Amino acid sequence: MFFDLHVHESQELVDEVERLGYNGVLTFNHEEIKNKDYPDNLISLKNDSSFQIRRGLMIYSKNTADLKRKIQKSRNEDVLIVYGGDLKINRSACENPRVDIISHPYHGRRDCGINHISARKAAENEVAVELNIRYLLRSRPQNRYKVLGYYREILKLQRKFEFPLIITSGAHSIFELHTPHDIIALTNCFGMNEEEASFALSETPRNIIERRDLGSNALVKGARIIE
Amino acid sequence: MKLKILPPHLRNKKRYLAFEVISETSINRDDVISIIWGALWDMYGSCGISQFDLWVIKIWNYDTSKKHVMKGILRCRREEVHSVRSIIPTITRFKGSRVVFHTLGISGSIHSAIKKFIYDKH
Repeated sequence: MFFDLHVHESQELVDEVERLGYNGVLTFNHEEIKNKDYPDNLISLKNDSSFQIRRGLMIYSKNTADLKRKIQKSRNEDVLIVYGGDLKINRSACENPRVDIISHPYHGRRDCGINHISARKAAENEVAVELNIRYLLRSRPQNRYKVLGYYREILKLQRKFEFPLIITSGAHSIFELHTPHDIIALTNCFGMNEEEASFALSETPRNIIERRDLGSNALVKGARIIE
Repeated sequence: MKLKILPPHLRNKKRYLAFEVISETSINRDDVISIIWGALWDMYGSCGISQFDLWVIKIWNYDTSKKHVMKGILRCRREEVHSVRSIIPTITRFKGSRVVFHTLGISGSIHSAIKKFIYDKH
């Protein structure tokens, strides 16, 4: 079972993701969700197929105070993804157990944006670090080696500290979507083996979705209210 | 005089990779070949490409009114199939228009690749 946890919210994209062999998708509007319900076209898909569709909330923040305020405003059921890049925001996101995914921690930086301290905190709080395929493919060919280097650094830290790692497409159009097996082959370029790549595309995303499905029933890690 | 063909145990083992191309504008066989070679060149360079024994076998055109779709079969060495597959997602643009490649499957013979991935999934 493969999942893509970062796709722009559109009917066409969801259909294409399903055609390519994924079993679930997490869509983002890339703005704060004002309408908390699913759009009409996605509701029908959500209800009548085995394909899982979830909606996430992307948080863009200027500073750590702003990040904490936005996290408090979110609902328990929303999958929270924090757009990183700034070192303080990366660290703050890794320290917050309410955050599910930290996206683009390397954005606009000359390093991977994750150090041993954030890595340890991410592992403790089960914050997944995202490796975005769109970011890699949109980088200029002469700079691609840098992005591959960042991914390699993150992978090295992941092997040491064992924080969750996910691979996403980050697609905005159908031209940015790829089959899971093509992505697994691509991850070989930055030193990921097949087993690790499959895990990052299947088990880790599934755990994130399951954790959020529990929503407000989850009290603390490992305990939940049974109705 | 033509060289005598090698015995089977000395020949390179091959794999046939079926793929589909979706593009914004209409493209032809030569364009597909140049896209693949460009991507390979960026990723592996001439030294890497020389190990792949790469050949575009055949291309089928499935253009519809809404989108331009092509399918094709690519031959490579059995040991390098993973490396060749890894360049498929790196292809994003051709002459300013967006293009995407998907692998449909890998097979041991041209016949079964066509049967399983080209005609069956159409």
